[in-house]
Amino acid sequence: MNDEQQLIDAAKAGSVVAFTGLVRSYRHRLLRFLLTRCGSYADAEDALQDTLMAAFRYLHSYDPRWRFSTWLYRIAIRNAQKIRSELVVEFSELRDEEGDPLLHCIAASETENLWISARRVLNEEVFAATWLRYAEDMSIKDISIALDRSVSWTKVNLLRSRRILDTEMRRQSKGDEAYG
Amino acid sequence: MDEMAKRLKSDAERIDVHISDELDRRISASLRVVGPEKPAKPARGGRPATFWWASSLTGMAATAAVIVVMNARPPLEETAAPPAPATAVAAVPVIDWKAETAMLTSPLRQELLDLKSDIKKAEQKVKDDIGL
Repeated sequence: MNDEQQLIDAAKAGSVVAFTGLVRSYRHRLLRFLLTRCGSYADAEDALQDTLMAAFRYLHSYDPRWRFSTWLYRIAIRNAQKIRSELVVEFSELRDEEGDPLLHCIAASETENLWISARRVLNEEVFAATWLRYAEDMSIKDISIALDRSVSWTKVNLLRSRRILDTEMRRQSKGDEAYG
Repeated sequence: MDEMAKRLKSDAERIDVHISDELDRRISASLRVVGPEKPAKPARGGRPATFWWASSLTGMAATAAVIVVMNARPPLEETAAPPAPATAVAAVPVIDWKAETAMLTSPLRQELLDLKSDIKKAEQKVKDDIGL
Protein backbone atom coordinates (compact mmCIF):
# COMPACT_ATOMS: atom_id res chain seq x y z
CA MET A 1 0.00 0.00 0.00
CA ASN A 2 1.48 3.38 -0.95
CA ASP A 3 1.59 6.57 1.11
CA GLU A 4 -1.27 8.18 -0.80
CA GLN A 5 -3.53 5.19 -0.20
CA GLN A 6 -2.66 5.20 3.50
CA LEU A 7 -3.52 8.88 3.73
CA ILE A 8 -6.79 8.27 1.88
CA ASP A 9 -7.73 5.48 4.28
CA ALA A 10 -6.90 7.63 7.30
CA ALA A 11 -8.83 10.59 5.84
CA LYS A 12 -11.83 8.35 5.18
CA ALA A 13 -11.74 7.47 8.86
CA GLY A 14 -12.04 11.22 9.61
CA SER A 15 -8.45 12.40 10.01
CA VAL A 16 -8.18 16.07 8.97
CA VAL A 17 -4.39 15.87 9.31
CA ALA A 18 -4.23 12.96 6.85
CA PHE A 19 -6.46 14.75 4.37
CA THR A 20 -4.44 17.96 4.65
CA GLY A 21 -1.29 15.95 3.96
CA LEU A 22 -2.99 14.24 1.04
CA VAL A 23 -3.99 17.47 -0.72
CA ARG A 24 -1.00 19.61 0.25
CA SER A 25 0.82 19.11 -3.03
CA TYR A 26 -2.32 19.79 -5.07
CA ARG A 27 -3.44 23.06 -3.46
CA HIS A 28 -1.21 25.42 -5.46
CA ARG A 29 -1.94 23.65 -8.72
CA LEU A 30 -5.67 23.70 -8.07
CA LEU A 31 -5.61 27.38 -7.11
CA ARG A 32 -3.70 28.21 -10.28
CA PHE A 33 -6.25 26.36 -12.38
CA LEU A 34 -9.20 27.90 -10.53
CA LEU A 35 -7.70 31.35 -10.96
CA THR A 36 -7.98 30.93 -14.72
CA ARG A 37 -11.68 30.14 -14.34
CA CYS A 38 -12.78 32.70 -11.72
CA GLY A 39 -13.45 36.41 -11.85
CA SER A 40 -11.34 37.30 -8.82
CA TYR A 41 -8.60 35.93 -6.60
CA ALA A 42 -11.07 35.70 -3.72
CA ASP A 43 -13.45 33.61 -5.85
CA ALA A 44 -10.62 31.27 -6.75
CA GLU A 45 -9.76 30.88 -3.06
CA ASP A 46 -13.42 30.19 -2.26
CA ALA A 47 -13.56 27.63 -5.07
CA LEU A 48 -10.44 25.94 -3.70
CA GLN A 49 -11.96 25.80 -0.23
CA ASP A 50 -15.23 24.37 -1.61
CA THR A 51 -13.31 21.82 -3.68
CA LEU A 52 -11.32 20.55 -0.72
CA MET A 53 -14.39 20.46 1.52
CA ALA A 54 -16.35 18.47 -1.08
CA ALA A 55 -13.41 16.11 -1.58
CA PHE A 56 -13.16 15.46 2.16
CA ARG A 57 -16.90 15.04 2.58
CA TYR A 58 -17.33 12.65 -0.32
CA LEU A 59 -14.03 10.83 -0.03
CA HIS A 60 -15.91 7.54 0.37
CA SER A 61 -17.04 7.88 -3.26
CA TYR A 62 -13.46 8.11 -4.55
CA ASP A 63 -12.76 5.20 -6.89
CA PRO A 64 -9.16 3.97 -6.38
CA ARG A 65 -8.99 2.94 -10.04
CA TRP A 66 -8.64 6.65 -10.83
CA ARG A 67 -5.70 8.83 -9.97
CA PHE A 68 -6.50 10.95 -6.93
CA SER A 69 -5.52 14.13 -8.81
CA THR A 70 -8.03 13.29 -11.58
CA TRP A 71 -10.83 12.97 -9.06
CA LEU A 72 -9.79 16.21 -7.35
CA TYR A 73 -9.74 18.11 -10.64
CA ARG A 74 -13.15 16.75 -11.52
CA ILE A 75 -14.55 18.36 -8.36
CA ALA A 76 -12.60 21.57 -9.01
CA ILE A 77 -13.95 21.86 -12.56
CA ARG A 78 -17.52 21.48 -11.29
CA ASN A 79 -16.95 24.12 -8.61
CA ALA A 80 -15.43 26.49 -11.12
CA GLN A 81 -18.42 26.01 -13.43
CA LYS A 82 -20.80 26.64 -10.53
CA ILE A 83 -19.03 29.84 -9.49
CA ARG A 84 -18.87 31.09 -13.07
CA SER A 85 -22.57 30.43 -13.64
CA GLU A 86 -23.38 32.32 -10.44
CA LEU A 87 -21.22 35.32 -11.29
CA VAL A 88 -21.71 35.30 -15.07
CA VAL A 89 -18.20 36.61 -15.62
CA GLU A 90 -17.15 37.22 -19.18
CA PHE A 91 -13.39 37.05 -19.48
CA SER A 92 -13.45 39.35 -22.46
CA GLU A 93 -14.61 42.06 -20.05
CA LEU A 94 -11.56 41.56 -17.83
CA ARG A 95 -8.99 43.32 -19.89
CA ASP A 96 -6.96 45.31 -17.41
CA GLU A 97 -4.59 44.05 -14.77
CA GLU A 98 -6.64 45.40 -11.90
CA GLY A 99 -9.79 43.63 -13.04
CA ASP A 100 -8.34 40.34 -14.18
CA PRO A 101 -6.86 38.28 -11.34
CA LEU A 102 -4.95 36.13 -13.79
CA LEU A 103 -3.16 39.12 -15.29
CA HIS A 104 -2.36 40.25 -11.79
CA CYS A 105 -0.65 36.93 -11.03
CA ILE A 106 1.43 36.74 -14.19
CA ALA A 107 4.91 38.16 -14.14
CA ALA A 108 5.60 40.83 -16.72
CA SER A 109 6.94 39.37 -19.92
CA GLU A 110 7.61 40.44 -23.47
CA THR A 111 5.16 37.88 -24.83
CA GLU A 112 1.57 37.55 -23.78
CA ASN A 113 0.88 34.54 -21.60
CA LEU A 114 -0.66 31.94 -23.89
CA TRP A 115 -3.23 30.98 -21.25
CA ILE A 116 -4.70 34.47 -21.45
CA SER A 117 -5.17 33.93 -25.18
CA ALA A 118 -6.47 30.39 -24.56
CA ARG A 119 -9.06 31.67 -22.15
CA ARG A 120 -10.20 34.17 -24.74
CA VAL A 121 -10.42 31.83 -27.73
CA LEU A 122 -11.37 28.47 -26.21
CA ASN A 123 -14.59 27.51 -24.56
CA GLU A 124 -14.65 26.49 -20.92
CA GLU A 125 -14.40 22.72 -21.37
CA VAL A 126 -11.76 22.83 -24.08
CA PHE A 127 -9.73 25.27 -21.98
CA ALA A 128 -9.94 22.84 -19.04
CA ALA A 129 -8.87 19.92 -21.25
CA THR A 130 -5.95 21.93 -22.59
CA TRP A 131 -4.89 22.99 -19.10
CA LEU A 132 -5.00 19.45 -17.76
CA ARG A 133 -2.98 18.22 -20.73
CA TYR A 134 -0.25 20.84 -20.92
CA ALA A 135 -0.09 22.38 -17.45
CA GLU A 136 -0.77 19.19 -15.50
CA ASP A 137 0.66 16.58 -17.91
CA MET A 138 -2.48 14.52 -17.49
CA SER A 139 -3.16 11.59 -19.83
CA ILE A 140 -5.97 11.74 -22.38
CA LYS A 141 -7.86 9.06 -20.48
CA ASP A 142 -7.61 10.93 -17.17
CA ILE A 143 -8.74 14.15 -18.83
CA SER A 144 -11.77 12.40 -20.28
CA ILE A 145 -12.61 11.09 -16.81
CA ALA A 146 -12.13 14.49 -15.18
CA LEU A 147 -14.36 16.18 -17.76
CA ASP A 148 -16.82 13.28 -17.98
CA ARG A 149 -16.30 13.13 -21.74
CA SER A 150 -15.29 10.39 -24.13
CA VAL A 151 -11.66 9.78 -25.05
CA SER A 152 -12.50 10.64 -28.68
CA TRP A 153 -14.04 13.97 -27.67
CA THR A 154 -10.94 14.78 -25.65
CA LYS A 155 -8.55 13.90 -28.47
CA VAL A 156 -10.47 15.85 -31.10
CA ASN A 157 -10.85 18.95 -28.94
CA LEU A 158 -7.22 18.95 -27.85
CA LEU A 159 -6.25 18.85 -31.50
CA ARG A 160 -8.59 21.74 -32.31
CA SER A 161 -7.31 23.68 -29.33
CA ARG A 162 -3.73 23.25 -30.54
CA ARG A 163 -4.66 24.53 -33.99
CA ILE A 164 -6.44 27.55 -32.56
CA LEU A 165 -3.56 28.33 -30.19
CA ASP A 166 -1.06 27.84 -32.97
CA THR A 167 -2.90 30.44 -35.04
CA GLU A 168 -2.94 32.71 -32.00
CA MET A 169 0.82 32.28 -31.48
CA ARG A 170 1.47 33.15 -35.14
CA ARG A 171 -0.76 36.19 -34.86
CA GLN A 172 1.14 37.30 -31.76
CA SER A 173 4.53 36.85 -33.38
CA LYS A 174 3.39 38.78 -36.49
CA GLY A 175 2.15 41.57 -34.25
CA ASP A 176 5.47 41.66 -32.40
CA GLU A 177 7.37 41.85 -35.70
CA ALA A 178 5.15 44.66 -36.95
CA TYR A 179 5.76 46.69 -33.77
CA GLY A 180 9.42 45.68 -33.58
CA MET B 1 7.80 18.02 -26.08
CA ASP B 2 7.07 20.43 -28.93
CA GLU B 3 7.33 24.21 -28.82
CA MET B 4 3.70 24.84 -28.02
CA ALA B 5 3.61 22.30 -25.20
CA LYS B 6 6.74 23.88 -23.71
CA ARG B 7 5.26 27.34 -24.02
CA LEU B 8 1.98 26.28 -22.37
CA LYS B 9 3.85 24.56 -19.56
CA SER B 10 6.13 27.51 -18.86
CA ASP B 11 3.28 30.02 -19.15
CA ALA B 12 1.25 28.01 -16.63
CA GLU B 13 4.20 28.08 -14.24
CA ARG B 14 4.44 31.84 -14.67
CA ILE B 15 1.05 32.20 -12.99
CA ASP B 16 2.14 33.01 -9.49
CA VAL B 17 -0.19 31.92 -6.70
CA HIS B 18 0.32 31.32 -3.03
CA ILE B 19 -1.83 29.96 -0.26
CA SER B 20 -2.05 32.60 2.43
CA ASP B 21 -2.00 31.67 6.11
CA GLU B 22 -5.51 33.02 6.40
CA LEU B 23 -6.75 30.73 3.58
CA ASP B 24 -4.87 27.80 5.13
CA ARG B 25 -6.60 28.40 8.47
CA ARG B 26 -9.96 28.80 6.76
CA ILE B 27 -9.58 25.50 4.90
CA SER B 28 -8.46 23.62 8.01
CA ALA B 29 -11.37 25.01 10.03
CA SER B 30 -13.92 24.11 7.36
CA LEU B 31 -12.51 20.57 7.08
CA ARG B 32 -12.91 20.09 10.82
CA VAL B 33 -16.53 21.19 10.59
CA VAL B 34 -17.42 19.05 7.56
CA GLY B 35 -15.93 15.60 8.22
CA PRO B 36 -16.24 12.73 5.78
CA GLU B 37 -19.67 11.26 5.17
CA LYS B 38 -20.15 7.55 5.67
CA PRO B 39 -21.29 5.59 2.64
CA ALA B 40 -25.01 4.81 2.69
CA LYS B 41 -25.70 1.26 3.79
CA PRO B 42 -28.03 -0.89 1.72
CA ALA B 43 -31.55 -1.20 3.15
CA ARG B 44 -31.29 -4.98 3.75
CA GLY B 45 -28.13 -4.51 5.76
CA GLY B 46 -30.08 -2.65 8.44
CA ARG B 47 -31.87 -5.75 9.75
CA PRO B 48 -30.53 -7.27 12.96
CA ALA B 49 -28.70 -10.60 12.83
CA THR B 50 -31.37 -12.19 15.01
CA PHE B 51 -33.90 -11.55 12.20
CA TRP B 52 -32.34 -14.26 10.04
CA TRP B 53 -32.12 -16.71 12.95
CA ALA B 54 -35.75 -16.10 13.84
CA SER B 55 -36.98 -16.61 10.26
CA SER B 56 -34.88 -19.77 9.84
CA LEU B 57 -36.22 -21.26 13.08
CA THR B 58 -39.80 -20.39 12.09
CA GLY B 59 -39.33 -22.15 8.77
CA MET B 60 -37.90 -25.25 10.41
CA ALA B 61 -40.72 -25.36 12.97
CA ALA B 62 -43.34 -25.09 10.22
CA THR B 63 -41.72 -27.96 8.30
CA ALA B 64 -41.62 -30.13 11.42
CA ALA B 65 -45.30 -29.39 12.13
CA VAL B 66 -46.34 -30.44 8.63
CA ILE B 67 -44.37 -33.71 8.94
CA VAL B 68 -45.97 -34.47 12.34
CA VAL B 69 -49.49 -33.74 11.08
CA MET B 70 -49.02 -35.92 8.02
CA ASN B 71 -47.73 -38.84 10.09
CA ALA B 72 -50.47 -38.49 12.72
CA ARG B 73 -53.34 -38.99 10.20
CA PRO B 74 -54.95 -42.52 10.21
CA PRO B 75 -53.75 -44.62 7.33
CA LEU B 76 -56.12 -44.93 4.42
CA GLU B 77 -57.98 -48.24 4.09
CA GLU B 78 -56.16 -50.44 1.78
CA THR B 79 -58.26 -51.37 -1.20
CA ALA B 80 -57.61 -54.46 -3.14
CA ALA B 81 -55.86 -53.79 -6.32
CA PRO B 82 -58.00 -54.72 -9.33
CA PRO B 83 -56.89 -57.99 -10.87
CA ALA B 84 -54.77 -57.53 -13.83
CA PRO B 85 -56.46 -58.65 -17.01
CA ALA B 86 -55.22 -61.94 -18.21
CA THR B 87 -54.51 -60.52 -21.56
CA ALA B 88 -52.20 -57.96 -20.07
CA VAL B 89 -50.01 -60.70 -18.68
CA ALA B 90 -49.54 -62.23 -22.05
CA ALA B 91 -46.41 -61.32 -23.77
CA VAL B 92 -46.65 -58.90 -26.61
CA PRO B 93 -46.51 -61.00 -29.77
CA VAL B 94 -43.81 -60.28 -32.20
CA ILE B 95 -45.33 -59.05 -35.39
CA ASP B 96 -43.63 -60.27 -38.48
CA TRP B 97 -43.98 -57.31 -40.76
CA LYS B 98 -43.95 -58.15 -44.39
CA ALA B 99 -43.65 -55.11 -46.52
CA GLU B 100 -44.15 -55.43 -50.18
CA THR B 101 -44.07 -52.93 -52.93
CA ALA B 102 -47.51 -52.48 -54.39
CA MET B 103 -47.67 -53.63 -57.96
CA LEU B 104 -50.35 -51.54 -59.59
CA THR B 105 -51.82 -53.80 -62.24
CA SER B 106 -55.53 -52.74 -62.16
CA PRO B 107 -57.15 -49.38 -62.39
CA LEU B 108 -56.32 -47.20 -59.34
CA ARG B 109 -59.81 -47.37 -57.81
CA GLN B 110 -59.74 -51.18 -57.84
CA GLU B 111 -56.21 -51.22 -56.42
CA LEU B 112 -57.34 -48.91 -53.57
CA LEU B 113 -60.24 -51.24 -52.70
CA ASP B 114 -57.90 -54.26 -52.73
CA LEU B 115 -55.41 -52.48 -50.46
CA LYS B 116 -58.17 -51.52 -47.99
CA SER B 117 -59.33 -55.13 -47.95
CA ASP B 118 -55.78 -56.31 -47.30
CA ILE B 119 -55.44 -53.86 -44.40
CA LYS B 120 -58.69 -55.11 -42.83
CA LYS B 121 -57.52 -58.69 -43.13
CA ALA B 122 -54.20 -57.82 -41.56
CA GLU B 123 -55.92 -55.99 -38.66
CA GLN B 124 -58.16 -59.01 -38.03
CA LYS B 125 -55.16 -61.32 -38.08
CA VAL B 126 -53.35 -59.17 -35.55
CA LYS B 127 -56.42 -59.09 -33.28
CA ASP B 128 -56.69 -62.87 -33.45
CA ASP B 129 -53.02 -63.25 -32.66
CA ILE B 130 -53.16 -61.12 -29.52
CA GLY B 131 -56.47 -62.62 -28.41
CA LEU B 132 -58.78 -59.61 -28.71
